[in-house]
Amino acid sequence: GVLAHLEMLEAQAHELALKQEETEQQEEKLARLKARVQELRVQRDELRAKRELQQKQLLEKGGVVTDLAQHSAQSVLEWKIKSIKAMLQVFYLTGISGKLTKRGVCFCISTAYEGTYLDCYHLDVLTKPEVQIQRHSVPIFIPLEQIANKYLQTDIGRFLSVLSDHLNAYAGRRYQADQLEEHFSDLIEGTLQRNSLCNLLVFNYNVSRDSKTFPFSAKLLYGDLCCSLPTEVIVSCTPNAPASLAEIAAAHSDVFRRMALHKAFHSFSNAKETQD
Amino acid sequence: MENNIYQVYEDEIRLLEEEIKLLTEEYEDIQQESTFFSDEEILMSIKLFQREFQGESKGHEYPVDLKAQLESLERDLSFLMKFTGIQFTSHSKKTLEKSGNRTVQKHRLSGNCRSLPFQLEFQLLEMQNKENMSALITDLSVIMESGEYSDLSKLVSSTEEHGNLLLFFRSLSSYAEWYEHRRCTFLHFK
Repeated sequence: GVLAHLEMLEAQAHELALKQEETEQQEEKLARLKARVQELRVQRDELRAKRELQQKQLLEKGGVVTDLAQHSAQSVLEWKIKSIKAMLQVFYLTGISGKLTKRGVCFCISTAYEGTYLDCYHLDVLTKPEVQIQRHSVPIFIPLEQIANKYLQTDIGRFLSVLSDHLNAYAGRRYQADQLEEHFSDLIEGTLQRNSLCNLLVFNYNVSRDSKTFPFSAKLLYGDLCCSLPTEVIVSCTPNAPASLAEIAAAHSDVFRRMALHKAFHSFSNAKETQD
Repeated sequence: MENNIYQVYEDEIRLLEEEIKLLTEEYEDIQQESTFFSDEEILMSIKLFQREFQGESKGHEYPVDLKAQLESLERDLSFLMKFTGIQFTSHSKKTLEKSGNRTVQKHRLSGNCRSLPFQLEFQLLEMQNKENMSALITDLSVIMESGEYSDLSKLVSSTEEHGNLLLFFRSLSSYAEWYEHRRCTFLHFK
């Protein structure tokens, strides 16, 4: 009856009010977003103008500006701080960098393979009462203690240098294996096996000749821990393989001894291209 | 359906914020790289800076920190140069490219490794990915007086060919040490 009708009208009014509220909220949010966009556009345009002015000034003054009068003492010091920080970063590129600490020095040994910088390792060295390593991030399979016992007390520069040789060689070996896995996975059969020191690598790979694929296996032993080339290489093909394959195995063995692993495989694919 | 209306604005806001960040960094990098103050000017500024904040209340930590920070960094740098024997006499860099997580800078560096002077120019590409920052050296050129030392000129050409900046410094370091030792030995016998 009337009551039900009234209830229905009430419900409709309520729904309408909710919808209105929703629409208002939407419009408010849109307005806020539009305002924000405007604000940011203005900011962006100001910055663009600032940059253009900067370019113009640089061209006029021909490069470096050294007008002390235009800078506050604070901004001059801030410039110098940034400048020294940049130079300390360059030291990182040289292989040995560090920071003085309350009780000694925190050294950072960086590693690289050619132009690619790899992991860096830290050593917290105390100098009082005697030279000792408080903390470090050198992996456990690097003979740190051995090297420290030999050089740390007498010649810390030499200690870091020898440690750097070990770490860089390890990083180089690991990099080569990683590159092989990453770029030549189509030639590798199964997985490349390596130990944590990356001085023993065992893998199977395929060689194609005359549209046939032959399985080869290689074992690389890096006897010199400060070297990223192997000291011993064994490449073998299947026992009843033709003599030509044995020649290839010998040639590959030679290449692995002389060249970085991923570069060796790169040369194989290049040779194959000239063949085909 | 409603979200689409917002999306357009939210996308533009994000793009604008990114562009603002890049422009700001670019501006500050260029300011830094195109400015130079001599050591005397730095010393003058330190004195001026201290005087400016002398009258301030004791609760002020910031002004003291700036001078202390500078001195601490200079101590670190001085220590490294003495310890490694690598003295940089000048360093300039120029940001060539900066976008998202990728920065390319051109560096000019000169200095001595013990008594052997060198000059380097290279490009450094740094990329920030999830876990770490990767660094790559390209276009490396080395200028060194190799004189009659063929080992040194071999080092230079090999370094330039492979971009072996780190190996260059390590090899140069041990070569310079040998060279110094040799020179001292000869002087001793003169």
